Amino acid sequence: MKTIEEINEKIRRGEAVVVRADEMPDIYEENPKKAAVDVDIVTTGTFGMMCSSGAFLNFGHSDPPIKMNRVWLNDVEAYAGIAAVDAYIGATQLSEEKGFEYGGGHVIEDLVSGKEVYLRAEAYGTDCYPRKKAETSITLKDVNQAMLFNPRNAYQRYNAATNSSDTILRTYMGTLLSNKRNVNFAGTGEINPLSNDPEYRTIGFGTRIFLAGAQGYVTGEGTQHNPKTGFGNISVKGNLKEMSEEYLKGATVPGYGTSLFVGLGVPIPILDEDMARRTAVRNRDIHVRILDYGVQRRDRPLVKEVTYEELFSGKVDLGGKTVRSSPLSSMKISVKIMKELAGWIEDKKFFLTAPLEPLPKDTVVKVMKPRRDVPFVEDVMTKKVITAQSTDALSKVSELIISHGIDQIPVVDREGRLEGIVTAWDLTKALATNKKKLQDIMTKKVITSRKGEYIDAVARRLGKHQINSTPIVDSEGLLIGIVTSSDVNKYLERR
Amino acid sequence: MNKYVINFPQEIVENPILSETILETGVLLNILRAKVDYNEGTIVVSIMGDEETQKKVVDLLRKKGVVVNKLKKSIVNEEEKCVSCGACIAVCPAGAISFTKDKDIVVEKEKCHRCGVCVEACPRRSLSIQQFE
Ligand code: SF4
Ligand code: SF4
Repeated sequence: MKTIEEINEKIRRGEAVVVRADEMPDIYEENPKKAAVDVDIVTTGTFGMMCSSGAFLNFGHSDPPIKMNRVWLNDVEAYAGIAAVDAYIGATQLSEEKGFEYGGGHVIEDLVSGKEVYLRAEAYGTDCYPRKKAETSITLKDVNQAMLFNPRNAYQRYNAATNSSDTILRTYMGTLLSNKRNVNFAGTGEINPLSNDPEYRTIGFGTRIFLAGAQGYVTGEGTQHNPKTGFGNISVKGNLKEMSEEYLKGATVPGYGTSLFVGLGVPIPILDEDMARRTAVRNRDIHVRILDYGVQRRDRPLVKEVTYEELFSGKVDLGGKTVRSSPLSSMKISVKIMKELAGWIEDKKFFLTAPLEPLPKDTVVKVMKPRRDVPFVEDVMTKKVITAQSTDALSKVSELIISHGIDQIPVVDREGRLEGIVTAWDLTKALATNKKKLQDIMTKKVITSRKGEYIDAVARRLGKHQINSTPIVDSEGLLIGIVTSSDVNKYLERR
Repeated sequence: MNKYVINFPQEIVENPILSETILETGVLLNILRAKVDYNEGTIVVSIMGDEETQKKVVDLLRKKGVVVNKLKKSIVNEEEKCVSCGACIAVCPAGAISFTKDKDIVVEKEKCHRCGVCVEACPRRSLSIQQFE
């Protein structure tokens, strides 16, 4: 048994033994009791995109003074609904001009790298703050305080993502190719901070940490902290002026928005054998669920449960097919963070703190219930679908289209499996080009949907592909219905 | 159609070589980029037509005393921007991107068929397809 004070005393004497989280498993396995006695601190690290990040800035007063009610930094709006010249620049706020290519995360990176940032502010003007507009350039040196304050960082674990749908998806889990052709995963596995102290014995409010190259602090649980399911996380704070550009990097997540790569490391004190055992966790012990992002719902279906060891190997078996897997967090920089933190401790520059209050272990996460429930595809789809077979004569198909007053007809095989779709336009074109067979004129790559999807997801798909309808198929590819843009519009109008 | 870079030596920089070539071969050239001063000139053109037609034009240009090289495209990773996150690896259909032992990113240019999927997927915008001589 050791106390944090005893460990700090060892640091002061230059005798503390610090190892990295990836080195600990072997040390522990060799002799658990000895590991608990010999090792004082295990350093952990992570470097990934953390959307729930941002910085409070105080710009100082101008003459005459202004009470900013809106403020932009390099064209990215910061939240100014606090005191006169205070604002919070959030990582995911987009530039009004550059959109996804530049956002709050990039502003923070620019500030930390010492670049000039263009500030524009608006105000309504008061007796004490008469100025209504301000424009200037600022650097990190010019502002009074710059506090990185991230309400949710460093999740204990993550789900991985794949996509069973037939179109490429751009998500916060990166680019997901169609038909489950890749798997993306986040987190750093066995070196992830909270995975090394899953019972939160040493991490809580007041724990001193490595935050983007400076000494920062845990300010308690993060938002959506969900300890019961193993999805705990922390909120953190640190002085942006002391941080390094190497560990704060703006990010563009294609099709999703902007974010910020944040580098974070937590020192875990080895108080006893239990902590030694916890920090000896290996990638093969940590399970990750691969979820299907092809289904656009809050609760996405589970595709497979794997371990970090499998994910880091770069290949995962999904239903007999070998699929490539990529991380979204940087192992290279995470390892660098663990080393740098260990170096600080060895140089007697960094001392441990005991948390003033541990992270809660019993909070639950509530969900939002929008007033009007969004219907599912199965609530609006037409179940009795007029279909054709690829061997049908074109004249017969044209007749069906006219007599039912529809624009398109799904083409199915004998079992009812979807083979294609043919539109009135295709038929007209066939007439002009003298094509005779339905097989030659129908579209074979059909944009389909599933019955359990939200209608909003389908509306988005129809718009994205500029199509008027989408056949609904089950997991076997059997046609079970159709949703047209007018079905969708009817619902959207009602809203 | 392919793109070529043409270098003019000092002596002939003032001759209307391109116009002559167009007139003599009847093949269309598109000037994409040009930098000409009194000393020398570099012009990037695209030459229309199949390989054989292009060869005819290139041969004639060379006869007129200019240096002609085909432009090659290649995938490039700007290392100062890259954070080695790996988001580009699994999306690459050619399997051209991987980690080194030290978890750096390597792009095998020979394997890449320049589809651009990784360029779009990279959160740091550090990948691009660039043209070389
Ligand atoms: S996605 Fe971009 S930043 Fe990430 S490893 Fe690939 S090239 Fe580097
Ligand atoms: S351009 Fe395409 S083939 Fe080339 S490295 Fe990128 S993803 Fe792979």
